[in-house]
Amino acid sequence: MQLDKEIYHHSKAKLQDYVPLVGRGTIEALNALAGRLSGKVIQNINSTYTGGGVAEILTRMTPLLNQLGVDARWTTIKGDDRFFSVTKKFHNALHGKIESISSEDFSLFLEVSRKNIEELQFNGDIIFVHDPQPVVLISKRHEIGEKWLWRCHIDVSNPDEKVWEFIQNYVVQYDATVFSAPNFTRRLPNRQFLIHPSIDPLSDKNRELPQEIIDSVLNKYGLDKEKPMIIQISRFDYLKDPLGVIDAFEMVRKNIPCQLVLAGGTATDDPESDKVLEEAKERASGNPDIHILLIPPESDIEINALQRSATIIMQKSIKEGFGLTVTEALWKGKPVVASAVGGIQLQIKNRFTGLLCHSIDGAAYALRLLLSNPEYARWLGKNGQEHVRQNFLITRHLKDYLMLFISLYHPQDVIYL
Amino acid sequence: MSNTVNEWISNNWLGITVPLIVFLAFIIVSIWIRRRLYHYLEKVFSQTKWEGGNIFIATTRNPFFHWCLILGGFTAIQVSPLSPYFKSLFGRLLGSIFILSLTWTVIILIERILHLYLKRFKALPSATIIVIINGLKIAFIVVGILIMLDLWGISTTPLMLMFTILLLIAIFAFRDQILDIFSGIEIARTNVVRTNDYVRLESGEEGYVSKITWNTIHIKTPDEKILVIPNSKFIRTTVTILGKPLKQASQPFRFFTRLYIKELTGLKARNLSELVTILKDVDDSVVYYHTHNFIEEYQYLTPQPANDFALWVYDALGDQVLGEKLANVDTFEFSTIGALRERLVDVINEELSIKHDGRQAPQGREFHFIKSLSVILPTYYVAHDLREFVEILRMVSLDTLYFHIFEARLRLHKGVNDFSIWLNDCLGEKELADRIAVLDPYTYTLEGLRSMIIQLVEKHMEREHAVG
Repeated sequence: MQLDKEIYHHSKAKLQDYVPLVGRGTIEALNALAGRLSGKVIQNINSTYTGGGVAEILTRMTPLLNQLGVDARWTTIKGDDRFFSVTKKFHNALHGKIESISSEDFSLFLEVSRKNIEELQFNGDIIFVHDPQPVVLISKRHEIGEKWLWRCHIDVSNPDEKVWEFIQNYVVQYDATVFSAPNFTRRLPNRQFLIHPSIDPLSDKNRELPQEIIDSVLNKYGLDKEKPMIIQISRFDYLKDPLGVIDAFEMVRKNIPCQLVLAGGTATDDPESDKVLEEAKERASGNPDIHILLIPPESDIEINALQRSATIIMQKSIKEGFGLTVTEALWKGKPVVASAVGGIQLQIKNRFTGLLCHSIDGAAYALRLLLSNPEYARWLGKNGQEHVRQNFLITRHLKDYLMLFISLYHPQDVIYL
Repeated sequence: MSNTVNEWISNNWLGITVPLIVFLAFIIVSIWIRRRLYHYLEKVFSQTKWEGGNIFIATTRNPFFHWCLILGGFTAIQVSPLSPYFKSLFGRLLGSIFILSLTWTVIILIERILHLYLKRFKALPSATIIVIINGLKIAFIVVGILIMLDLWGISTTPLMLMFTILLLIAIFAFRDQILDIFSGIEIARTNVVRTNDYVRLESGEEGYVSKITWNTIHIKTPDEKILVIPNSKFIRTTVTILGKPLKQASQPFRFFTRLYIKELTGLKARNLSELVTILKDVDDSVVYYHTHNFIEEYQYLTPQPANDFALWVYDALGDQVLGEKLANVDTFEFSTIGALRERLVDVINEELSIKHDGRQAPQGREFHFIKSLSVILPTYYVAHDLREFVEILRMVSLDTLYFHIFEARLRLHKGVNDFSIWLNDCLGEKELADRIAVLDPYTYTLEGLRSMIIQLVEKHMEREHAVG
């Protein structure tokens, strides 16, 4: 087992590039907070440098923290395929999925964790551990001290109790834990912070696009630029209810001319997704106003272009995590119709920043309302974008992390710096 | 011996007497001319009321007589029987004395007159005056030396050339400073800006003029930085003078900002009983968060007079009546979180006494008790008077506004917002302080609140200005 080198820098956006989007005051505040962490080393530890949401967040956050003068580092644990197949099972089990996990699996998990503890260099004043894979590293605490944080990026509200109990033994040893939504947590004896995920407004998926690019994407997929467009971007999964979206659209189209775009990919680890795609295609067959687009991975600019050309963006999920696709939709300044599930409710205040629905009928009603009242739709879109600007951009995420680190040294509720 | 002297005098009496008579004649004529000339000049200066006249007369009256004496001496030597060599030697000596005297007089005259005029440019620093006067002194001394050298037959052409080259080099090397000095004179002459004026530059920077030097203007910005602007640049830029100095506060107002992070308590309620039971015991920070969360997260919207409890009861429990009752709890009425909590608990208990537990929230829609953890940081912005206060208020983040209005009043137990306290205690502006104190901040968006306070302060300043 070898140690990965630490990554200090990543060639992404500069902090100053965010000023036009969030204002100079926000960046000044970040600098002020970062100044209070002078001399402290923040060591992030997760399981991979690439792939997955955690790696994506760290890829963006670490260089920005460095730009703020915070010595943030990033290290990964090592493990073979067997280890990661066990952690995948843990992941699913913590999400509430039934998994067959043997005592050998637990032993393997502990064995690899022990090797990582021996070989990893712990050089942070704050050790920031992400997700369950490296959770056992806390066992090193009695040797090196320092502050330890566990960031849980998944929903553990209804986990497989056996796996949760196993993980919990380690989680409780951390100084504090961090969750993405109140609903994702379990009651724990240590401090729990709430830090919502965020989007990067300068990433390909979210940045402003020239009209020519948007037009070229519409041409590529044969979409009518003049006709109102309702769009849902999600992988083809029953939980995203693409068939419900088609039903709602059909109700609306009886009276209002419009087109529907269902765009997304299929998940390689989900055998059902191909089936869902086929069913959606079948339901849409014969209707020229329904476009089912299978978009390959890494098509961020195309997704961005589709969202920016939409009249209404939908997210009619049956179950949802935090729902960053909703955040992305709101950021485009589009009116959003979404189900009142999971983290979507944190982002959409019904009738203020979007419309929430609980059924296909509710979704159809919301679509009709927005298509018939473009001024109201614009107002909602503007509010939604502002809501994301205030609460769900990466700069807010940075601020939360900086405050989290500072709060480890200040137990009181009001901290004067 | 005496015979020899007598003999020499008898042989040369004419050669001695004529120069002596010429010299005496020059003295007499000089005295007469000086009297007439200066009488005439006094009359002219009196009519023209030129203030430099007295200086001119006082400075040149005596030297004028000396110059006449020198001219008399020179003429007397020229008519004397001395050899051409001695005539030339004495002529050059007298010429040199004349040049020295003239140069000295001109220098004194210029210095006195410049002092007279430059002092009127109050904005012009004394260093600039000294630089200008010394520059002119040096120029006249150089000219005097060159004339004297010419008088003694020394060629001045190479020296002139050298001085010219040196002068050009100096002008080239110090062109910016020279430009700054002249710009400084122009600024002083036009009196366009004075120390303590509040100005805004074309670039958007603004602040008080803290110092004007011979080549720069110093501007103290609201965030306590000092901008040093060369006079030549200042004169070329568009400057808006926002106002003259106002009453200074006994203590400046330091703006702070407040950032917050959410901490989960792990407590959650599914129905009204659980809600009220937990609400009674949680930290003030939890009550504060749930009664102020909407303002912070939705600061761009028309504010909802709703706290999280009201929204949850309305949305998750579907109890519209209780939702309205809780929404109607006016946070602004309370000066402590404890009192606010008691009121919320009373409202829920009243409802519970009629309806008991009522509905259960659906799974996933429970009320999660969250704590607000604040980090308070000083900003660079400091106000010393009302104008600085209002200009800074335009610039600070909404977090800063939020802190001084909401957090200070309720969470930090001050009972009133920070602005009103400062206006009253440090500026003696009780009326303005009261106007801001009675504003119900919960009925504005943060931007709307900012505009409202700015309007109140500006109106107050206008009124004070009109009265003053």
